[in-house]
Amino acid sequence: MVILRYIGSRLLFLVPQIVGIVLVGFILIKAVPGDPATLMLGPMASTDSIARLRTDLGLDQPLPVQFLIYLQKLAHGDFGTSWQTTQPVLSDLRTRFPATLELVTYGMLLALLIGIPLGVLSAVRKRGAIGKIGGMYGLVAGALPDFWLALVLVFVFYSELHWLASPIGRIDISVIPPDTITGFYTIDSLLTGNWDALGSSVQHLLLPVVTLGLINAGPILKMTQSTMDRMLQADFSQYERLCGLPPQLIMRHAFRNALPSIITIVSVLYGFLIGGAVLVEIVFSWGGAGQYAVQGVLNSDFNPVLGFVIFSALFSLVVYFLVDLAYLAIDPRIRH
Amino acid sequence: MAMSSSATLVLETRDLTVSYRPYGLPPVQALRKVNVKIALGEILGLVGESGAGKTTLAKAIMGVIPQPGAVEFGQILFNGTDLVRQPEHKLNQLRGRAISIIVANPRGELNPLLSIGEQLTNLARFHLQASVRQARQLALDMLRAVKIPDPARRFRAYPHELSGGMAQRVVIAAGLICAPQLVISDDATSGLDVTVQVQILDLLKKLARERQTSMLYITRDAGVAANFCDRIAILYKGEIVEEAPTAAFFAGPAHPYSNLLLAAFSHHSALRKRWSREVEPLAKDEIGGSACLFADRCLLRQGRCFHEHPQLRELAPGRFVRCHFPVERPSS
Repeated sequence: MVILRYIGSRLLFLVPQIVGIVLVGFILIKAVPGDPATLMLGPMASTDSIARLRTDLGLDQPLPVQFLIYLQKLAHGDFGTSWQTTQPVLSDLRTRFPATLELVTYGMLLALLIGIPLGVLSAVRKRGAIGKIGGMYGLVAGALPDFWLALVLVFVFYSELHWLASPIGRIDISVIPPDTITGFYTIDSLLTGNWDALGSSVQHLLLPVVTLGLINAGPILKMTQSTMDRMLQADFSQYERLCGLPPQLIMRHAFRNALPSIITIVSVLYGFLIGGAVLVEIVFSWGGAGQYAVQGVLNSDFNPVLGFVIFSALFSLVVYFLVDLAYLAIDPRIRH
Repeated sequence: MAMSSSATLVLETRDLTVSYRPYGLPPVQALRKVNVKIALGEILGLVGESGAGKTTLAKAIMGVIPQPGAVEFGQILFNGTDLVRQPEHKLNQLRGRAISIIVANPRGELNPLLSIGEQLTNLARFHLQASVRQARQLALDMLRAVKIPDPARRFRAYPHELSGGMAQRVVIAAGLICAPQLVISDDATSGLDVTVQVQILDLLKKLARERQTSMLYITRDAGVAANFCDRIAILYKGEIVEEAPTAAFFAGPAHPYSNLLLAAFSHHSALRKRWSREVEPLAKDEIGGSACLFADRCLLRQGRCFHEHPQLRELAPGRFVRCHFPVERPSS
């Protein structure tokens, strides 16, 4: 009951949150100098034709009116058209957003698989070798740029060892992509039994996922280590030790207490990576949403940028919502 | 239940010496050749001011002296076995099972994410190898024994839903659930309202008597110890300075420090004034290395106190004092 009311109140705030985010995004993108009409028609265009195009695009209207028109279209599911791809933004994002999401999701999973066990172990064996390795890892992963690591991996595993297919795009050009169900090539090809596509997309995912996983395991490891360490020193852990409970149980209890902090950093990273993985996307010509948005910014193509902002904001809001549900499940103090 | 020499000893420390050796600083002796004996079913009160080494003694018995501390010398005999030389996994089997501790600030000590019932059943399941159902029954019985109203409901409650007094009862329940032979109470009730404190102490004493549990009752409050303990030991700067049966002790404390302690809690203003007079401060070089540890604060000190460290000696059967010039007659 409490939980239902909580979910209801969260959903209620969703719409004003989205409108607020769109407003900020709109103002920021309009503040960037650059006129799409000029760019669209090229340097040879006459001022007349530019002015006509501006009227057609509604760019001659005052900003508030433009914003309201945008909102009105948005309410009908119209995200506008990208003048670069000449496609509706919605259909562009339908293929590009899942591309980024697939990459980032596997990257996060790998980061979790590295960061959490290593973080827990280095908190438990603070003075041992694992503790030192954990500390070093956090430092190195924090200092390495992701695109650099991506290039090194490409050099080693593609150029030198020839273990993997050429690191361009999500799938070999010769392989037909699977029918779109979720937009994740791996899942879609599994669902449709398209094994060629599965093999090819896994091969293409490997290096960028390893890059994102190795780099982002750093902050997760750091957070896990420091919170776990604090929880193991906490009074309740000391008391459990005084009660003679087995060390594994004490560790499990401490981990449960550390979980909220770990989930927080994971959710922040996950939301951030939707746009933050763009350099890795560029290295692997991934064709994801981040790349799409950056192209939009560079070419005064407003609609893709705003579409991307809305999509990633929605995604972040969903992630934060799930995180809140996780807190509710973990901590009885919030439930009351 | 005064201790007789024939009574079975549950706990005995022999010349227990514990030092902290912080890196780059001179070592500090927290306990100096401490000898305490607790017989079966006996309650020993350990009284002293903060910093006297009370908690260090509790931690030494539990085998959890924090770094950089260590037992430097001596033995801790529990049923004749020396705990100092036991490996960690053996100690872990004793902790919470044969020797348990009741801590102060119970709300901070309980795991905030686990229900009371889960924390109690964990103990029974691990230490007594009880089944889930048995453990649950034991936990409920224990909650009833510590007089928690509506135990079935509290079983599912979380620590933040309990009052301080309730949480204290839960910690007592946790301390007694495995029917330990020795319970250490480390200033456990000091954070509670006086009325609640009395209730909980009565309860604790009743449960200890019923189960023939021995207790080491550590407190700063000599008045509480008077009503609760069979024998009293006074700890000062890591040294036992007086030890006596409770009645005899309160009838006439022999050590000047004991008198100071009792006077501090006394309602008798003349007595309080007499013992809490300022003592003339001493120059560093007046005190030799072998001086009595209390010499700098003692009202009754004489020349001998600065040169000769007093030994614990028996004034009367069962009455020990570490003083060259013990107070002969109780001041009235």
